[in-house]
Amino acid sequence: MAEEDAGFASGVRACGGLGAFEAPSRSMKSAFPRLVLLLAAIVALPLAVRPVVASEIWIFAIAGMALNLIFGYTGMLSFGQATFFGLAAYTAGLMMIHWQAPLLVVLAAGTLVGALAAALIGYVCIQRVGTYFIMLTFGFNQMFFFIAYKWTVVTGGDDGLPGIPRPPLALGPLAIRLDSSLRYYIFVAAVFLLAFCVMKRIVDSPLGVIFQSIRENPVRAAAVGYDVKRYKWIAFTIAGAFTGFAGVLYSMMFGIVPLESISWIISGDIVFMVLIGGIGNLYGPLLGAAAFKWLSEAISVVWERWPLILGVALVLVVLFLRGGLVEAFTRLRDAAGGPRARREPGASVPVGIAAETEAGS
Amino acid sequence: MSDGALLRTDELTCDFGALRAVNRVSLSVKAGTLHSVIGPNGSGKTTLFNLVSGEIPPTGGRVYFEGRDVTGLPSHRLPHLGLGRSFQRTNVFAKLTVYENVWAAAFARRPHGALSFLRRASEFSDVDAGVRRILGEVGLTHKLVARAETLSHGQQRALEVGVSLASSPRLLLLDEPTQGLAPEATQQMTRLVQSLVGRYTILLIEHKMRIVMSISDRISVMAFGELIAEGTPAEVRDNPDVQRAYLGARR
Repeated sequence: MAEEDAGFASGVRACGGLGAFEAPSRSMKSAFPRLVLLLAAIVALPLAVRPVVASEIWIFAIAGMALNLIFGYTGMLSFGQATFFGLAAYTAGLMMIHWQAPLLVVLAAGTLVGALAAALIGYVCIQRVGTYFIMLTFGFNQMFFFIAYKWTVVTGGDDGLPGIPRPPLALGPLAIRLDSSLRYYIFVAAVFLLAFCVMKRIVDSPLGVIFQSIRENPVRAAAVGYDVKRYKWIAFTIAGAFTGFAGVLYSMMFGIVPLESISWIISGDIVFMVLIGGIGNLYGPLLGAAAFKWLSEAISVVWERWPLILGVALVLVVLFLRGGLVEAFTRLRDAAGGPRARREPGASVPVGIAAETEAGS
Repeated sequence: MSDGALLRTDELTCDFGALRAVNRVSLSVKAGTLHSVIGPNGSGKTTLFNLVSGEIPPTGGRVYFEGRDVTGLPSHRLPHLGLGRSFQRTNVFAKLTVYENVWAAAFARRPHGALSFLRRASEFSDVDAGVRRILGEVGLTHKLVARAETLSHGQQRALEVGVSLASSPRLLLLDEPTQGLAPEATQQMTRLVQSLVGRYTILLIEHKMRIVMSISDRISVMAFGELIAEGTPAEVRDNPDVQRAYLGARR
């Protein structure tokens, strides 16, 4: 069997990322401020950038979290996440255009489509590891891209699928309009937070440990009794669901599903964001999505060749900062000698039954 | 099969291309014993282990565990039948903590349905207790939150055994647990293995002859992929074939 290509993933937890178990002293001190910071960021973001960009940041943060689950945690780099993103976006768009489907139904349907597509495609892809796995995910992505490109009657092809309404959020008798971009931002931020808590719960569950054991050493994971392919498949399917969820949110952003949403460019962007943010850390993709979208927004105004800067950023991260922005923050904090800067190496803190003290999720 | 044999191999054979790494090896390991496999480098000991633990499929022959034919079962099935193994080259989860390493192995053997995944990993107090007991046994309690890759070589070998123990195996395959250890660490490891005798049935590959002779109930000797002798330590020591194999003048 070929070696699992975990080259990038070796940067995982370079900064003491989030395991399923945290020492009680850590969980009390560290998880809580992180969540407070996250909430503060959600409130502050639309003040710093246009609400549309702010929405995009959380939407791609969801897609980034999904990739992080299979790449950062399980060790499989998918270069085809746009397949699920795009399929869900088209599904949602078509349902809203032709059936005037309500918002929550569309969200559920897109998530389901993402999960189902990932279950089918993933089943094939996980039969191979490393580079071959990457190429399979990429190949499927290209396949679906060309279907979307050529099947113009349904998808609008190159022109995209226009005329997508943004239905109100119906909660019982209450129908909250989401027509302004700030209102939509609030909705996106709320469902992002929900998705984040679900993802946190997933990596805190036994799945988190199992996925990481597979990333670290698939042979040993099998030798202790895990059906490695089955768990890879589970991870891939979960990621498909999250990516589909993000795709639905994206389809309602601009009232159009652009062909780009199912193209390899989006797949690449998602990989990009996760790498820049920091792989294998729950908060990495959030930082990555924010940095990516903020950079492209801020710099594209002054300089149209902004992707060049992103390219340079990626090269620098891969060369010098394998843990991404998360590692950068950790290093800064350590240098500043912050309160939780130093964890005693090998301190015999009981870690097992500790995380119920964890705040938030 | 009712002769008390926990593990029995029947004419087990493995070819790598033109090379026959294991040639019709039939051996049987009695429950409750420590059974060692010795032999010069390249004599097929580790390959034999890999065949028994399902790592590689045999070219011919069968493996019976508790009377059940387990030949060709995927490796992830065997721990659930009660067969655990350690590796010659330390093979743990490098970036996970010591605690997580053992936890992963212990949880694998705990019956878990889909509902278990709705709970946090930290909420399984039974798994937690087992992990702490094992880490106490292999002497790594003070290293719970250290990442496996930061351990010394000796500690990693101890963790290697700990991860294997966490599967609560009825048969434990130990592949050279003292490999590359300094004398003092070797003694510690030997004591650890000895402390397991009686509670586990152990099939041990070991190079260090003094250890093998002092702790084994039975010894099988391999050379060039074949079983050339088997018996008690005293019998094996006095066997002329064994002496020849170790001196290199075979037949």
